[in-house]
Amino acid sequence: MPFRRPRFVTGRILHNSGHGIFYRMDVSIPDRIEFLPGQFAMVSGWPGNDPLLPRPLAIFRAGGVRGKGTVEFVYKVVGRGTALLSGLHGGDPLQITLPLGNGFELGREDRIWWLVGGGVGFSTVFPAAVALEARRADFDLFLGARSRDQLPPREWIPGAGVPGRAHLCTDDGTAGFFGPVTDAVRERMDRMKAAERGRVTILACGPREMLKGIAILAAAREVPVQVSLENHMACGFGVCWGCVTAVRDGEKTAYRRVCKEGPVFDAREVVW
Amino acid sequence: MVIPAAAPDLTSRVGSVVLKNPVMSASGTFGYGLEFTPFYDISRLGAVIVKGLSLLPTPGNAPQRIVETAAGMLNAIGLQNIGVERFVREVVPRLADAGATCVANIYGRTIEEYEEVARRLDGVASLSAIELNASCPNVKEGGIAFGSTPEGLSTLTRRVRAATGKPLWVKLSPNVSDIRSVARAAEDAGADAVTLINTLVGMAVDVRTRRPRLSNVTGGLSGPAVKPVALRMVWEACRAVKIPVVGIGGIQSAEDALEFLLVGAAAVQVGTANFRNPNACVEIIDGIAAFLARERLAGLDEYRGSLRI
Repeated sequence: MPFRRPRFVTGRILHNSGHGIFYRMDVSIPDRIEFLPGQFAMVSGWPGNDPLLPRPLAIFRAGGVRGKGTVEFVYKVVGRGTALLSGLHGGDPLQITLPLGNGFELGREDRIWWLVGGGVGFSTVFPAAVALEARRADFDLFLGARSRDQLPPREWIPGAGVPGRAHLCTDDGTAGFFGPVTDAVRERMDRMKAAERGRVTILACGPREMLKGIAILAAAREVPVQVSLENHMACGFGVCWGCVTAVRDGEKTAYRRVCKEGPVFDAREVVW
Repeated sequence: MVIPAAAPDLTSRVGSVVLKNPVMSASGTFGYGLEFTPFYDISRLGAVIVKGLSLLPTPGNAPQRIVETAAGMLNAIGLQNIGVERFVREVVPRLADAGATCVANIYGRTIEEYEEVARRLDGVASLSAIELNASCPNVKEGGIAFGSTPEGLSTLTRRVRAATGKPLWVKLSPNVSDIRSVARAAEDAGADAVTLINTLVGMAVDVRTRRPRLSNVTGGLSGPAVKPVALRMVWEACRAVKIPVVGIGGIQSAEDALEFLLVGAAAVQVGTANFRNPNACVEIIDGIAAFLARERLAGLDEYRGSLRI
């Protein structure tokens, strides 16, 4: 049986290779997993105690057959932990706790889905695109990066073959829309008829400033947004209380764990 | 013919509390215990020690709350918790259903609050003991004010001792000049055991932004980096008091746990290791049993406190 409840497993790396500024790692694990788009894993594989803690990585893809699973991660080197991960090779063991957190709510309703990924944030929204594509839902992808060479490789983009589906945005104008992805989302939204706009739901992952921008512009147009937040985590499954973010709780604010109550939050709840 | 040896006896005693093995989860690293049920059967643990409970729910510190340091981490969570009432109503029955031996860690902003939390827990039959947090470095009122001097600790321990009939363990701060005198103060004031160490106060800063990495500026250091300090303090405390000493600090493996038992700890608590490997506690239990079997020892009592100096 594929597992859905979190487990701590030792996997073995099948491939781990660089693609531009991103790495893609394919790992064999003892069993198949079932995950929801937006769920993540805590991953470590380097020897010794330094760095001490595993790193949270979005689950990019999972597969396998009975009694033998695979899981894929896409990541960018941002610090020592990910630098060490990038140095691991096929055959190396990897410790993984997965699947963790709450994924995106894709419901059953016939919505227009806008999936927004900033930087490596695409690795969190692509699984949602794959799920939506499988049910033939109407979705668009907005991908933002500093520059052309920091966009995901075209062959990774789900449904990229459909004309007009993937909206690429670069801060320096070297590819697609010249400007931040939030501007591209705003422009497109403002060109829509109100009735059509009322059917849009946004799923977003990326830098906090980008998410805040999306949240504000969408709130003004009454478009629901689910944001996937990031934070430093020690455990990833709700016991250290280190990764909290401030959310609205009635009149007050409260701290909720990104790993447990999130990483996906209703953007209106988040105190930006 | 080889006669298979019986599995080594790991039974451990912390005063009147009998544990099936010496491995407990350290408060603040194990949530309320139930979070671990997807990973293993929590009744396998010597005891589950839950996150510090206060009289009222506590929101905790603003982010950023954790930062990784060399072979360790700093935390300044600020004792975020659901409060004692909700714990008793919602968590205790579920821990009991899971068959877990449970110890409640408590703290208060005032001595009166400590007393009230202890009184509220006194009648909760399924709790095996109360651990008094007299040592949280991250909130002014988290006990450190009481726990950093023998006099302060003595007053607090005496008052809480009078408020509950449960076995009372006092968790000590390492941020003192002489651990022996605070351990003795706890013993003299009626503690049934001392548990140590809590985290060491530390700090991390960002050279570029010129800001502290934690919103609380300072935080508590834990992980393998603190183990030698913890081991020394546990050894000192074991020689200073007659009550049981529970060893905590950087335990990640069975060998680490055995080191604390060797210097005289009655039992151990595993903390930060749970973050890195959710199965850490049960792997340590199995590792201790395997070690005793390899050493041809029938039980832990033959090994505990046998340090040769």
